[in-house]
Amino acid sequence: MLKTSIIILVLFLFAFGGFVLYDLATAKKRKEVYRVKSSATAYLMLLPAVILAFLFILLPILYSLGYAFTDYYLLRPNDINFIYLDNFKDFFEELATKGTLYNAIKNTLTFVIGVVPLQIGLALLLALFVNRPGIGSKIFKVCFFAPVVISLSVTAFLWEQILAPDAGGLLNSLLGVFGVPPRDWLRDPKTAMPCIIVLSAWQGCGYQMLIFLSGLSNIRKDLYEAASLDGANWWRKFWLVTWVGLRSTFVYILITVFIGACRILTQPMLMTGYMDHTVTLSYYMYNKGYTERWVGYSSAVALLMTIFIGGITLIQRRMFREEK
Amino acid sequence: MKKLLKSIFSMMFAVVLALGMTACGGGTGDGGEGDSGAVDSEGNTIVKIMFHVDKSSTEGQAYQKRINAFNNAYKDKNIKAQGVFKARSAGASGYETELLNNQLEGTLADIITFDAPNTAAYAKSGLLYDISSLISAEEQAKFYSLNKYEGKLYGLPIQESSAGFYYNKKIFRQAGIDVSAFSAENPWTFAQFKEVCSRLKAHCEIAAVDMRIDATKDETAPYLLYPFIYAAGGDFTSGDGYTATGYYDSAATAKGFQFIKDLISSGYTSYAIGPTDFFTGKVGMYLSSGWTIPDLDNKYRDNFASRDDWGLLPYPKDVVAASATGSWSYAITNNHHTDKTAILELLKWMTSAESSKAITDATGMIPARNDVEKSYQPGSPEYTLLKQLELSGRERPVTVAYPTFSTTFNQVIAGLGNGDVSTLLTSATNTLQTEMNRLKNLK
Repeated sequence: MLKTSIIILVLFLFAFGGFVLYDLATAKKRKEVYRVKSSATAYLMLLPAVILAFLFILLPILYSLGYAFTDYYLLRPNDINFIYLDNFKDFFEELATKGTLYNAIKNTLTFVIGVVPLQIGLALLLALFVNRPGIGSKIFKVCFFAPVVISLSVTAFLWEQILAPDAGGLLNSLLGVFGVPPRDWLRDPKTAMPCIIVLSAWQGCGYQMLIFLSGLSNIRKDLYEAASLDGANWWRKFWLVTWVGLRSTFVYILITVFIGACRILTQPMLMTGYMDHTVTLSYYMYNKGYTERWVGYSSAVALLMTIFIGGITLIQRRMFREEK
Repeated sequence: MKKLLKSIFSMMFAVVLALGMTACGGGTGDGGEGDSGAVDSEGNTIVKIMFHVDKSSTEGQAYQKRINAFNNAYKDKNIKAQGVFKARSAGASGYETELLNNQLEGTLADIITFDAPNTAAYAKSGLLYDISSLISAEEQAKFYSLNKYEGKLYGLPIQESSAGFYYNKKIFRQAGIDVSAFSAENPWTFAQFKEVCSRLKAHCEIAAVDMRIDATKDETAPYLLYPFIYAAGGDFTSGDGYTATGYYDSAATAKGFQFIKDLISSGYTSYAIGPTDFFTGKVGMYLSSGWTIPDLDNKYRDNFASRDDWGLLPYPKDVVAASATGSWSYAITNNHHTDKTAILELLKWMTSAESSKAITDATGMIPARNDVEKSYQPGSPEYTLLKQLELSGRERPVTVAYPTFSTTFNQVIAGLGNGDVSTLLTSATNTLQTEMNRLKNLK
């Protein structure tokens, strides 16, 4: 593996070197002396970052791509065979049985459909709420952002206590005051995923709130004054000024939240374990790769997931570009 | 310009050269002091042994003492043991990752410790060395259990474990329940167990018994609950470990799971029991392994001032009696060293009666050998666990697909609260069978 990595690295460095030389030669041909010098310095400074990015980002991706077509089993690292598209065939065969994989895809889609609008909506509401002068708004900003800084594993643990199935659980105690009997929120297939959606939206919306706030600060105040003079009410001001001003910010947030939601792993792993009603595609992939030791198959699932996320992201961008 | 290009090329060359040198330095790991099977400057053959615990822990210290004793005893034979301690900081899978990295790098220790259910997977993958011919039949007979796969011996246990139902004598007295007739030699039945639970329920704040049905995120629930299925006459896999259909979804297996489901439905046990509810007197019984004995002896003095306040009952039986067993074992690895003489000496030393006693004295577990002197008082919790191990101990299914078995077992237990046993078992069987087929076809 080490030898292969070094061969790939050498090839990459030669490709990078070739690109640099071509760029410099083109600049020299055009007699852009200043650009030749500055570009050469820039490339030289870039080199350590390029090598690190290659080693820690590109190389693992390349390996994962390669493993997707092999029978790599974790206990046999020295006996890897090329098996063409067998892993993909296994994937679709398993999907047809409507077992754990089917549930993982269903749960991931449920999570994405639930969390994306909820998290973005909450973030926008919070941003509008705190986007006003005064000490109070600063305190709220800190409060709303606080969950983002807390580790996801800590958040999951806290919510596990809140949703504890006995009468001592915080939510059950609260509902008990109104005569609602305690329930096992995380083991009940009807309530487990909604709970994870709410927790995730609560945890993540503070970050998107900050991005919305920066978008709001870029909207010119005179547009609101003009709208007021034209007799626009609050809703028309929001729809025709704020929303239009926030559109590019919204697209960025939509794409990042969507990608993050597709990769959900920590919350179900820590809060429920590998259960059919909460298992997600990333968790399925992790379980196949580490617990069941099928690195090859797991890499194939990762590849399919990347293609799916990439495809949806492209569609999202296309849709919003057309609207523009 | 030329200068700049020169410096770019020089830098690229230097980086490639440095990485190339690093690559040459990594490799096989068959030289230098401290490497597996190496010879040190004093001419001693170094034998490396890798443990799954931290060196500073009580268990780790016990292993180190036995290694030191080995080094003193084998000074004249020029064999020196070196312990490598890799604590399971991220669970058993974390330790396994370390183990596999070492295998990949060619630095795998000569002897490793491993969790017993991994025997089949490790043996099939060629990680373990077949020691069938190296350990005599007479010596093998001294162990309560052996790590076998396809009839070949691959490991020897470090220690043994058994589990049972700890009970709060004060609550039992209040409920007027007498369980003095039940012992490992004369276990109670499923019906008697339910009867005790029904009488106990009214005297417990939360539930009659903590069966650990909530512990489905790791190996706890499979380890503690699989004996119920064997007791009901059920099974999980065929003898070769490659067939689940017809075993995992059989009527007898369903009966075992249905028994657990009935306990949940009747409110005798619950997913909502907290980890300390038995120790604080809110639950009457608690299913756990031998490691709870030190906790009851030392930690929870308010409710359990002495051994007069708590006792231990065996697993209930139905068609047959069955109880939990299994712990970690030693195995010789199939690393690049062919001469196993020195390694075998260390394995025999670490699994000797003396080592077995020293290590279990530190851990509180049951010695793996039946020739180790055990001075347990009849009727004591330790005695119950030992007798149960001897009379009804049955290992978890031996299959290369054990991780999938464990996952599906957890899914069934977690689903019992809301789901139907038959549906859950059909899904679990399909998943396990698919995995078994895939492993069977592994080239």
